[in-house]
Amino acid sequence: MWKCNACNEPLVVMKTQFSYMDRSFTHEVERCPKCGKVNIPLELAEGRMAEVEEQLEDK
Amino acid sequence: MRPRMRGPAIPPIEVEQPKMKIAVTPQQKAQRVRKTLSVCPVCLKRIDAEVVKRGDDYYIEKRCPDHGRFRAVVWRGDAPSYEEWGAGYAPPAADKNSLPACPDGCGLCEGHLQKTCCALVEVTTRCDLGCPVCFAQSGSCEEGGEDPTITELRDIFNRLATAGNTFVQLSGGEPTIRDDLPEIIAAAKEAGCETIQLNTNGIRLGRDPQYAGELREAGLSFVFMQFDGTEDGIYEKLRGRPLLDVKKAAIANCSRALLGVTLVPTLVPGVNSHNIGEIISFAIAGSPAVRGVHFQPISYFGRYPRSEGEPGRITLPELLRDIEFQTKGKLKVKDFAPSSCDHPYCGFHGDFAILPNDMILRLTKKNASCCPPTGDEHLKNRRFVSRRWNRESATEEIGATGAESEPDMNDMGAFLSRIKSHGFTITAMAFQDAYTLDIERLRRCSLHVIKDGKTLPFCSAYLTALPYN
Repeated sequence: MWKCNACNEPLVVMKTQFSYMDRSFTHEVERCPKCGKVNIPLELAEGRMAEVEEQLEDK
Repeated sequence: MRPRMRGPAIPPIEVEQPKMKIAVTPQQKAQRVRKTLSVCPVCLKRIDAEVVKRGDDYYIEKRCPDHGRFRAVVWRGDAPSYEEWGAGYAPPAADKNSLPACPDGCGLCEGHLQKTCCALVEVTTRCDLGCPVCFAQSGSCEEGGEDPTITELRDIFNRLATAGNTFVQLSGGEPTIRDDLPEIIAAAKEAGCETIQLNTNGIRLGRDPQYAGELREAGLSFVFMQFDGTEDGIYEKLRGRPLLDVKKAAIANCSRALLGVTLVPTLVPGVNSHNIGEIISFAIAGSPAVRGVHFQPISYFGRYPRSEGEPGRITLPELLRDIEFQTKGKLKVKDFAPSSCDHPYCGFHGDFAILPNDMILRLTKKNASCCPPTGDEHLKNRRFVSRRWNRESATEEIGATGAESEPDMNDMGAFLSRIKSHGFTITAMAFQDAYTLDIERLRRCSLHVIKDGKTLPFCSAYLTALPYN
């Protein structure tokens, strides 16, 4: 289980809203319940987030 | 020197004369915007030209020592403003020294500023329509010239793919006239062309229900289909016969074969300029089978309607305003941006996804033209159109199954799924003719015609001298 480096709190999976490529998305990610920092797993960064980037690449 | 086409004498069709402000009042005093190079519309010799502002409109003006002065409108009105639309693009000087042969000796010289996005290959000069309007000046099925052999075409495709030019448009004439078109498509695919687009009038696709499947099976990516409007009267004027039913049948047949269709209207003032909103509504209702609309305001090259004086024109800002007005504000001028691949004054694009219940998701980014060129704009453009115009998988047509549940577009998975299945573009390209040719724009062209062993910018390849009385 991941812990927050700053708060030493175990991360919890939470539905989180974040902005990416000028759009707003909600996604379940691990988050520190104290400071709110999130952990973006590699598979999300290289998977759906990369796909969003590819789909929104402009002409 | 490359042989030049000369427009044949043909019966005129009625073209609404533009609401021109020819008279130069004190308020419309000419304001020079920039110098450029162009050609004389009569003899096609290169001459100096200027882009000039008069009132809210912009013209290209020039004088041929043998044939006199010429002026053609290139931008009407200030919404969007000419300056803002081209902001961020610093034009390189189009001078005689840096471009010694442009546009005559073209084969893409070191003065050309853009690489090939799409390579257009004419597979025939024959056509089964004898349209009053035709940029390629195609002949009839009987009288057209000799078609290139499959071996010659294979050689072209191999050379294109080796050079990394993997987006090919098969054009003509009417490519579907050739019974070996599936073989031609397969040859392009085998050569390594990743994206193969068919430029067609849609007649064979509409009449033969199996044909779209055969082309898809051979490796065709998507269809670029002539579609001038939602009224048969428009086709009677522009194409000489009613064609709406066969166009609808072509879309339905392509849909069954999962072949995406982009509708391509040639816009002629007074013929179909009132139908812009209806064309867009028709296309949206046809999503996901219909992937978008690509407007082409009429240019005067190839075979075209003659009119007295300044030909009827619809400029890009007028088209944008018409889109907003005729869709009753559903789409707005601000939803569109200039391409960063071609010259900003050559076209625009709007990127959308069609949602259930008559809703549209806007995806166009507005900052494309403000960034300095990176040298890979042609690849970005290629990826963009391939992504949006290709139909990846079977998806339910909107309205076909009654009410459709609204996807949560804040959910990343639902968002991705919807823009892939129902991506939709509205694009336009303002081709240049012998009146409007601006060599600065020509130098940024990424649509290249493969002809006689040369690679030519589209508007240079089809440049046609004005019939001269």
